[in-house]
Amino acid sequence: MYPRPQTPPDPTDEELNTYIRTRYRLLGIDISVLPESDEDAPMDQERLLENGRSILRQDVEAANFHIDPQFNLPIAFPAPFVAWTEEEGS
Amino acid sequence: MSGGGGRVGGRGSGSPAPQDERVSRRWFLERMAWVSSAAAAGTLFARAPAIAGPRGPAVTPEAFGADIRIQEAGDLTRLTMSESMTLIRSGALAPEDLVEAYAERIEAFDGTLRAYADRPSRETLMARLAGTPADERVAPLRGMCLAPKDNLYTADLLTEGGSLVFEGFQPDYDATAVSLMRAAGGLIVGKAQMGNLAGGRARVYGTTTPTTRNAWTPDDVRYSPAGSSSGTGTAVAARLAVAGLGTQTGGSVIGPSNAQGLTAIKPTFGRISLHGIIPLSYTRDHVGVMARDAMDAAILLQVCAQPDANDPRTLGLPRPPNYALAATPYGGDRPRVRWSTRVGVWPGYLDGDNERVNQLRRDFLAELERNPAVRIVPEVTLPDDWETLTSPPLGGSHGDPTAFFIEHLREDVRNFADRLPRFLNGMLQSADTFVKVQQARNLLRHRMLTQLFNQCDVVVTSAGGAFDGAGLPLACMPIGFDTDETTGARVPRGATLGAPPFGEERLLAVVAAYQAVTDFHRERAPDPAA
Repeated sequence: MYPRPQTPPDPTDEELNTYIRTRYRLLGIDISVLPESDEDAPMDQERLLENGRSILRQDVEAANFHIDPQFNLPIAFPAPFVAWTEEEGS
Repeated sequence: MSGGGGRVGGRGSGSPAPQDERVSRRWFLERMAWVSSAAAAGTLFARAPAIAGPRGPAVTPEAFGADIRIQEAGDLTRLTMSESMTLIRSGALAPEDLVEAYAERIEAFDGTLRAYADRPSRETLMARLAGTPADERVAPLRGMCLAPKDNLYTADLLTEGGSLVFEGFQPDYDATAVSLMRAAGGLIVGKAQMGNLAGGRARVYGTTTPTTRNAWTPDDVRYSPAGSSSGTGTAVAARLAVAGLGTQTGGSVIGPSNAQGLTAIKPTFGRISLHGIIPLSYTRDHVGVMARDAMDAAILLQVCAQPDANDPRTLGLPRPPNYALAATPYGGDRPRVRWSTRVGVWPGYLDGDNERVNQLRRDFLAELERNPAVRIVPEVTLPDDWETLTSPPLGGSHGDPTAFFIEHLREDVRNFADRLPRFLNGMLQSADTFVKVQQARNLLRHRMLTQLFNQCDVVVTSAGGAFDGAGLPLACMPIGFDTDETTGARVPRGATLGAPPFGEERLLAVVAAYQAVTDFHRERAPDPAA
């Protein structure tokens, strides 16, 4: 018997912070030049990480919203035909 | 033909139906789906096909038909663009005098108002004017002093985007919209200050210290000019320019226009080229015109709304119609909207926190309702899933700016100041979310056309952001004055109208009819005391 999949626990802020810092480091972006926490500064690490965590958690909300995958399939750019024929729609 | 069956517009006016009725809505939806998918695939800015779409008319005779208010001619900068063009064509006004008048005001007041980040010398302006053809068919904007936002490239002036990221950046070519204004004879009198990388009000680069002042509170920096096209708003309202260009990804043309008593049009996506503009989003960026009344907005839109081989989003659109005709008051002594129009009212529009603003809005709707061609549709029903589709994450565009700025982010994240999260978000947003955002935007667009604009032809709205995501046009105009509680200053309030694709004509017609019977747009901001 295999164990049934369980919904994993939500990641903690610390886990997400580690993920965010690693992601930036991977791309060669240094956020350590920002002050750790300074509300008078235009930006600090604390606010940046808070925003990053919010973005990551929003991914769940986006994933949970169902849109019919058959809806509005991308199609080829129709505009040149309109331009050539001066047709304003059909 | 239109997919909006049962529409009442276009009947009985004697004018051809407006463009929003003639264009196919299905075609628009399919086209926008392509733009979203191409952006996701990174192919949108492949070399454009060497075709030129049908050009719109040059500035048309209606643009020169202003009834000149002689009391305004004492100070040339009080004239609208149409009035100035009319006087210049008749020989009653020398363009040199007009440019001198603007140059004097800029030199006198821009030190306080700080509308401009960079500007040419008076000698440079006069030399450019001297080289402009005198034939108004070639250069209809001769002598018109214009203020593009500082994210539009200019070959002769810095383009810094309100940010340390672009400090000292000198492009070697003009943005297409700038070159079109110049080709029409317009003079760029300055690069208008803007919020940091097109977000918020204009500030000292890299700080939270505000620079540009609202033209209506010239002696008090606390009252915001709004953003991010702050400087264009202030320049036009304070008569340091006769009109200008802003850009809008999320309210940045309509916001400062409403905050400073201006009339503006944020046209349908792709109507004005984005080539040569610092990008934020391939699918949400728009150029908008900011002016003092409907006719001036129409004139500048006419000049800039042209297909551009360097921006495929502008190609294959319906030919730009005669915007100046749409903005010409119609109906003689009893002005009416040129086309029969159902004006929808957004839910909660009259129930805001500020009762004085609510009263202005009631007065505004009552004035529209007196127009014999208008039928008010109270409290339209919003499309299904409205909140979900217009709020983050699905209603946002988190990932868009990151790709453009990776090298700048590696160089020093401090240069992005308060805007840094916006530019790093894309590295955290997953590809599946990005695709879902594009899909949701198409769904929103579809529902706005089928579940909102089946109820009305234009809608008075307090939710302009959805129109940015859907690529639909917006207009705004002043509807009265209020007292700001912080500064005690008398400040303008505006109303915003949205429309279906290519609804610019109808928006202009509604604004023009309203402005034919009201004077809010004729009021001019006070000069700084110092």
